[in-house]
Amino acid sequence: MKTCEDIREFLGAWLDGELGQAEADAVRSHVEGCSACSEERRQLDKLNVAIKMMAAPEQPIAFEPFWRGIERRIVERNSWRAELMDRFRGFLDGPKLAWSIPAVIGLAIVLYSLGVWKEETPRNNFAAVESIDAYGRNVALLRENETRTTVIWLYQNQEGDNESSGETSDQSPTF
Amino acid sequence: MNLPGKLRIRALLFSLLAIFAAAYLGAAETASQAVKIKIDTILASNQNGEFDARLKPLEKQLKVLKYRAYRLLKEESQSVPSQGSGSFQIPGGRTLIVSPQDLRDQQIALKVRLQESEKPLVDTTLKLKNKGNFILGGPPHEGGVLVLAIWATVE
Repeated sequence: MKTCEDIREFLGAWLDGELGQAEADAVRSHVEGCSACSEERRQLDKLNVAIKMMAAPEQPIAFEPFWRGIERRIVERNSWRAELMDRFRGFLDGPKLAWSIPAVIGLAIVLYSLGVWKEETPRNNFAAVESIDAYGRNVALLRENETRTTVIWLYQNQEGDNESSGETSDQSPTF
Repeated sequence: MNLPGKLRIRALLFSLLAIFAAAYLGAAETASQAVKIKIDTILASNQNGEFDARLKPLEKQLKVLKYRAYRLLKEESQSVPSQGSGSFQIPGGRTLIVSPQDLRDQQIALKVRLQESEKPLVDTTLKLKNKGNFILGGPPHEGGVLVLAIWATVE
């Protein structure tokens, strides 16, 4: 009868199938009846599984989805803001900026010829009066600052002034 | 010279060409343009306090004259060629003759004559801003006075 110590020496060889039939039967019957050797066998089994796993060929890691995710996030970051900035930077490049000047001038000419910038009333509405001849009548020239209006006023204060029309004004204005 | 440099030179030349073309076209246009002369004939009086609503754009300018009532009697426009003259019939047998003399720098040189029958009342030469106006007034009419707002606009 072999002792536990003897059996444990053959445990490894038995698990590897290296023993003869008789020795293997002897070891199996002992292990089945001995809890300590049965535990030793379980430990050896675990060790064998771990060794086999380490020796097994490495499974490839699926990096493809990872890179796709990164690419997607890069594209998302380069959204409208980034594109706008890229275009703005591109616009500031020499040739484009240089050509934009004549383009702006051309556009301004077109808009001006279409009358887009025609102001309704000039801000300085003063008339530059070069000469007035009232043929002997009194005449006043007023330049009114608030509305920037020029007024030429004929006074009907000469004798016989209204002979033809026979009209008289009720009063002359006091500027 | 590198490519951007050449493009810049071309763009600069094109800009200058565009500016000269605009200046030439502007000058040619000014030389051939007509002037739209518009005359608002207004009766100003102190008979009542009514202000003609049609004269709203002229309200501030007319208030300088300090009459109580203003009524638009007539509104007339004519397209008058440069160096030509336009004749406007004014109530009371009067005639206003307006002759654009020169158009330059957005200014219109005008000769204006107001006459009664054939008798001249006033002759004036002045320069008016494009789209600007001035007021000629004083001839008596129907218990008040006539006020002429004379507008000139390059067409």
